Amino acid sequence: MAQAHVIIREVSKCFGKTKVLDTISLEIEKGSFTTLLGPSGCGKTTLLRTIAGFYDVEQGEIFIGEKKVNDVPSHLRNAVMVFQDYALFPHMNIRENITYGLRIRKMPQDEIEKKLETTAGYLDIKNLLDRTPGEISGGQQQRVALARALVMEPEVLLLDEPLSNLDAKLRVSIRAELRQLQQRLKITTIYVTHDQAEALAMSDTIAIMKGGKIMQVGSPSDVYYRPDNAFVASFVGTVNFIDGTVRSVSDEGVEVETGGTTITVRERQPAGKPAAHPPLPGEKITLSIRPESIRIVEHPAPAAAFRDENVFRGTIKDYIFEGSSIRYWGEALGKELLIDVFNPVENALHTGDVWFRIDPERIHVIPQSIT
Amino acid sequence: MKHRVRERPLSLLIFFIVFCLLAFVVYPIVEVFFYPKANDFVSVFHNARYMRTALNSLMMLVLSTLSATFIGFIFAYTVTRTDVPGRKAFKFITLLPLFSPPFMVSFSYIMMFGRNGLITKGFLGLDVNIFGWHGLWLAQTIAFFPVAFLVMEGVLQSISPMLEYAGRNLGANGFTLFRTVTFPLARPGVAGAALLVAIQVLADFGNPIMISGGFSVLATEAWMRVEGWADIAGAAVLSIMLLVPSLVLFFVQRYWVGRKSYVTVTGKMAQVNIQKTGKVMKWVLFTVCAAVSLLVLLVYVGLIVGAFVNGWGYDWTFTTRYITEIATRSKELVHSLSYSAIAGFSSALFSMTAAFLVSRKKFPGRRFVDFTCMLPAALPGIFLGIGYSIGFTRPPVDLYGTATIIILSMIFWNISTGYQTGIGAFQQISPSFSEAASNLGAGSLRIFREIEIPLIKGPFFSSFIMSFIRAITTLSVIVFLSTSKNAVATFSIMNLVSDGFYGKAAALTCVLLVISFGTIGLAKLIMGKQVQFFKV
Repeated sequence: MAQAHVIIREVSKCFGKTKVLDTISLEIEKGSFTTLLGPSGCGKTTLLRTIAGFYDVEQGEIFIGEKKVNDVPSHLRNAVMVFQDYALFPHMNIRENITYGLRIRKMPQDEIEKKLETTAGYLDIKNLLDRTPGEISGGQQQRVALARALVMEPEVLLLDEPLSNLDAKLRVSIRAELRQLQQRLKITTIYVTHDQAEALAMSDTIAIMKGGKIMQVGSPSDVYYRPDNAFVASFVGTVNFIDGTVRSVSDEGVEVETGGTTITVRERQPAGKPAAHPPLPGEKITLSIRPESIRIVEHPAPAAAFRDENVFRGTIKDYIFEGSSIRYWGEALGKELLIDVFNPVENALHTGDVWFRIDPERIHVIPQSIT
Repeated sequence: MKHRVRERPLSLLIFFIVFCLLAFVVYPIVEVFFYPKANDFVSVFHNARYMRTALNSLMMLVLSTLSATFIGFIFAYTVTRTDVPGRKAFKFITLLPLFSPPFMVSFSYIMMFGRNGLITKGFLGLDVNIFGWHGLWLAQTIAFFPVAFLVMEGVLQSISPMLEYAGRNLGANGFTLFRTVTFPLARPGVAGAALLVAIQVLADFGNPIMISGGFSVLATEAWMRVEGWADIAGAAVLSIMLLVPSLVLFFVQRYWVGRKSYVTVTGKMAQVNIQKTGKVMKWVLFTVCAAVSLLVLLVYVGLIVGAFVNGWGYDWTFTTRYITEIATRSKELVHSLSYSAIAGFSSALFSMTAAFLVSRKKFPGRRFVDFTCMLPAALPGIFLGIGYSIGFTRPPVDLYGTATIIILSMIFWNISTGYQTGIGAFQQISPSFSEAASNLGAGSLRIFREIEIPLIKGPFFSSFIMSFIRAITTLSVIVFLSTSKNAVATFSIMNLVSDGFYGKAAALTCVLLVISFGTIGLAKLIMGKQVQFFKV
């Protein structure tokens, strides 16, 4: 059984009059990769810095391991941070940067050397040790910053948007590398980002934040397929919302009425995870439908094949070609819909009047009482 | 984008700027070097008095620079990095001497701590002789630590707090953090500040002339040569001895330290969260800052008391006769005001124009204009003063005893600050504004008038105010150029102090201070945030 390694209990914080953290509670499993995801100003960096000990905990409690760390100074929390702009000391070379913390601890020189060797090996930066931060590239600085943190063998690794200063290609490759390294070292990691793709790709658990509050905590597929609310649905990935009223709930599925049409929902819940908010008849709800869950059909196939459900007449307005997919702007049910078609056939664009089919198993129901 | 110059009015403007720089900066400098004969230079090494004076200057340079930089750093660190109480007040008090004539510190300390000193004799009953190197050391420390403070405050502020967070996160605390991160990062800034202070200490004339007594330094010795012996060649040689180290310091400061700076400008400045300072440290810093601040305030207290008592040291009764006398019958004050206003405005106009040309246009002599506009910052006031006195008081150009010579010296001594402000301002204004205007058909001068001028109003105004204040408070530049006909207030204060007329001198200094602080206050009131002084 996984145990909680970092526990945040009802933590609040204000900067002046603005409440940047509003009774946040979160448990982080040992050895897991947890991401704090949210738009800028949502409080994610503040939360991370509070865990690191740069900000005082004004209200609530933070535990690392068994220990309450509210009043423990930053360096005794064994939670080491990698900064967004790396914060490499410009007056030291790479070797001195990486070994800085060990030297402060007054560790014997031979031990420092050994640890430096290992860590620099992990991150493939042995050839950079005698240079200064100004002389190496952004990607290399990133590795050095990581090395400087990892060499401390922290219990908890804190990463503050460490990839945001890298170019797009490098970001994707370091993303994978960072995840593999974390898996190998099994180090509890808390990662802050505003990039939902990064969060989905790297995390075991994602906590989505908005306005100082946690909106949802769950696995990447939880937050992607089963968002608790409209904010999470639209922040993580792209989504179509359709408002409606629940007509009936049965084994056959949930019948939702919207603008005179009925949409059938048969959402599958993973084993052991019942729906968070099972829909009730008569309830006002919002359907969250991912663009890739809608298919475009030029001519509807025989009714039997589709069981005649969720097929709607509509038109294609516009499209953009994105390589692995095409995104269409269509109109149906009196609404604008986004549709992603993956693995598109070249020169076979959909245009004009078409039929849309929405996969009943891939529709998620969000009660409007929450949104 | 810089455009090659093709338009006629612009060419004339460039010609005018280059001509002025040649005539009023380069020519006087050259004159100083050519006035003495070869023999005058050689004899320096046999002249024991010159050598001793040079050594004295060196000694003060080391002592005052060290103490002023040290105190400046303590203030800057306290203000930017600690939660010591009263930081705002400390900062405010530190800024006061920057708007005051530098000799004022010496003058006031003579009244406060001298043989008839209000504090030493009056309150403590001591018999203290403040005249000499120790008095000078104290006065220069107090007069120039604000310069160091200002530079280092900027440096400390621009060190990313993330670096200190990182250090703390990795285990460095308190003094360890200071020793391994904060101070090493500030070191280039400290060096830069020390060099700036050194230049000022070296060039300082006002303090040593008042307080150093028989202990002569290069600047005062040059004055003595002229005043006592009419030995202009000797004064020229001495001022060259002053100029050379000054230039070295200046160029080291500009081109070497500037390049070594760690200050990186990152877009996103994190909220600085000042860490709690250790209790002992906090009180040590507080005590030092409070003591120094008190010394600064005493300068002003001394002057104000001095202006309102009948006879310093023997008759402490209240009087307004000195102030009344100054306000109604001081032609020196009228000269000070009018000359400085004209010089301040001309200087700002000239330096902004030069900055515009250098940053926006391509023309032969552009590098010359850039260099020559910066040069006066490296010149000791004494040196420029001697230059003007040699260059412009004999036929064909004889301006002896005129207002013109004083105004000209004030204008060109001050172009560097204005020029630097201007260059900074033009760097911030995107050239695409003028490119857009040019694209729409506006000529160069029209662009300057309609696009650039509105955008640099703030910097222009700031440099006008700064030049005005520097002009009205300067003594070293005008001391060689003043006669009874064109004397300004600072010159008259010097003479009054040396003749022992403290009351009148104090009153005149107070009026100068009121003008100078009033101008700053008024400027802030009218222009608000648009005026920024001190881009060091």
